[in-house]
Amino acid sequence: MPVALNMRLTGNEEQEVTLTGTLRPFVADEMASVRSSLEQAARTTRGTLCVNLKRLKYMNNVAFLELNRFVRWVAHTRPGLRVKFVISSVIPWAVRKFQVIAELYPFVTIEVYDKAFYPIQQVIEDDDFMNVLRTQQKIIWEHEREKLAWHGLRPGLRIADICCGLGDFAILLQSDFRPEYLIGVDHSKPFLRYAWQLVSDFGLENIEYQYGDAAALLLPDNSFDFVSCRLSLQVFHEPDHIVNELYRICRPGGRIYLTNEMMSGVTGYPNEEVIRHGYIRFLELCRRVGMDLDIGLKTRTILHEVGLEDIKICLLGITNMNTAPHDFARVVESWLRTAKQMAATANAEPELYEDVSAGLTAHIEAITRDNGFAMWPIFAGSGRKPFRIS
Amino acid sequence: MSIVKTITPAPPMEAEFASSRYRMIMAARFTVGGFAREWGHCHLLANYLARYVSANEGDPERHATLLSTFINELLEVIFRNHAVEGQIELIFRRRGRHVILQITLPVTEQNRVFYRMAVQIVNQPDLKSWYRARLEDPADGEDTMLGLLELAAVYACSLTISEPPGQDRLSLFLELPEVDDMGEV
Repeated sequence: MPVALNMRLTGNEEQEVTLTGTLRPFVADEMASVRSSLEQAARTTRGTLCVNLKRLKYMNNVAFLELNRFVRWVAHTRPGLRVKFVISSVIPWAVRKFQVIAELYPFVTIEVYDKAFYPIQQVIEDDDFMNVLRTQQKIIWEHEREKLAWHGLRPGLRIADICCGLGDFAILLQSDFRPEYLIGVDHSKPFLRYAWQLVSDFGLENIEYQYGDAAALLLPDNSFDFVSCRLSLQVFHEPDHIVNELYRICRPGGRIYLTNEMMSGVTGYPNEEVIRHGYIRFLELCRRVGMDLDIGLKTRTILHEVGLEDIKICLLGITNMNTAPHDFARVVESWLRTAKQMAATANAEPELYEDVSAGLTAHIEAITRDNGFAMWPIFAGSGRKPFRIS
Repeated sequence: MSIVKTITPAPPMEAEFASSRYRMIMAARFTVGGFAREWGHCHLLANYLARYVSANEGDPERHATLLSTFINELLEVIFRNHAVEGQIELIFRRRGRHVILQITLPVTEQNRVFYRMAVQIVNQPDLKSWYRARLEDPADGEDTMLGLLELAAVYACSLTISEPPGQDRLSLFLELPEVDDMGEV
């Protein structure tokens, strides 16, 4: 029963007990330490006791009944205490199982935590946006493919592509880098269905996709040679959680590869001031919904702080002179539509969206104009996981 | 514990399963003695078999995690209720998006009574209310059966029994709920 148990005080009113791994005991007595920790936490909590099960992959009925007994113990011994089971939608059995307990006991609630963790998920699952993502991927790949070998990618590696989106990266890697095995993880089922269909159509057997939470991956420690996370850290509230997971699943000596945008560096001519101001305001809007689209500049720091060595950074300088202007303009048009949806979500004042709209529209004009110039900087960074933790 | 895998249907097939609606996925056979030596075999076997059955799904890992939950619960019940000698056979079949698990095991009379009772309880009307009542006020000795009951009450699995006359064996058929390619019930 390899279960890990962790307790922490998350505030005066709240304590959290975390269970991870596998909880399939033969008898309830094998859960004595878990039960004792739960009771200890319940005795010292004034408000809500959180039982965090978001990375508990397996649990049998013996364990479930013991948790049920604990809840009944709370009802008798600690009236007034609230119990919150924190589960993840990634664990397929969890929601139904704990829903029963929540229905039985009014002081018990269930929180599916990853619903709140992906604030713009519904926006990006829109069909039009999926088409734009493919165009965006096509544009970036032309600049990225020549840099990947420098970042340590070579044939025959085991690769994990975290936040894989539509899975295009996995397909594109096949011809140049022939991975031994690639797993793509994403939190969007429509994206994964698309990706899986693509793999089926191409008849590729070395690629798998997994519905997963990038901040609590179910992949094993130290198991991949190359771990990529592309244009994704920027859309999360807490990118550190994700980077820690990338580090955990990367094998010592393997490399972690990130790409991050720097929207404050997007510019163009003519109307450069309107464009710059528009993107500054766009960044402001993004921050209101928990996204940092200017994270590119921090790429080196992120890689350093997680403990990587041999860090490499390069710029994918996409311009309207090295990319098809029509495709580039389509991408910016999609940002404009997304900005409108975000402004509505964030209940932003109309002036904010107007500034964004003016800036991005001027950018599109610069991209498509015969003698105009426009750029979109993306930082690609990588680092090696050390063999020994210093 | 050794496992024998067969890709072709293992005779004799139940007449119903010979129908083209059912597609064979895999079969496994192992001795009771090897299986019952360690509790951890339930977990290992459930994960192994679930991964095999889920191999061609869109999200094989998540699909397998869900199937492992069902298979493990059944194996744990078998672990606690079987005759001391003989072989256990598992056959996985598919009908549309449903997976049907047939498990045939050697039993004593006491085991037989247990399984008959389990199937009877699982198939009673208003099972959900009955299951909730057991959680609110558990009775002694019911715990080993509650795993099976949960599969039916919470996940809408169905359980039936087949007892060939004159044999010290019986078969349980666990029909799993419709699970999509992403492992969602």
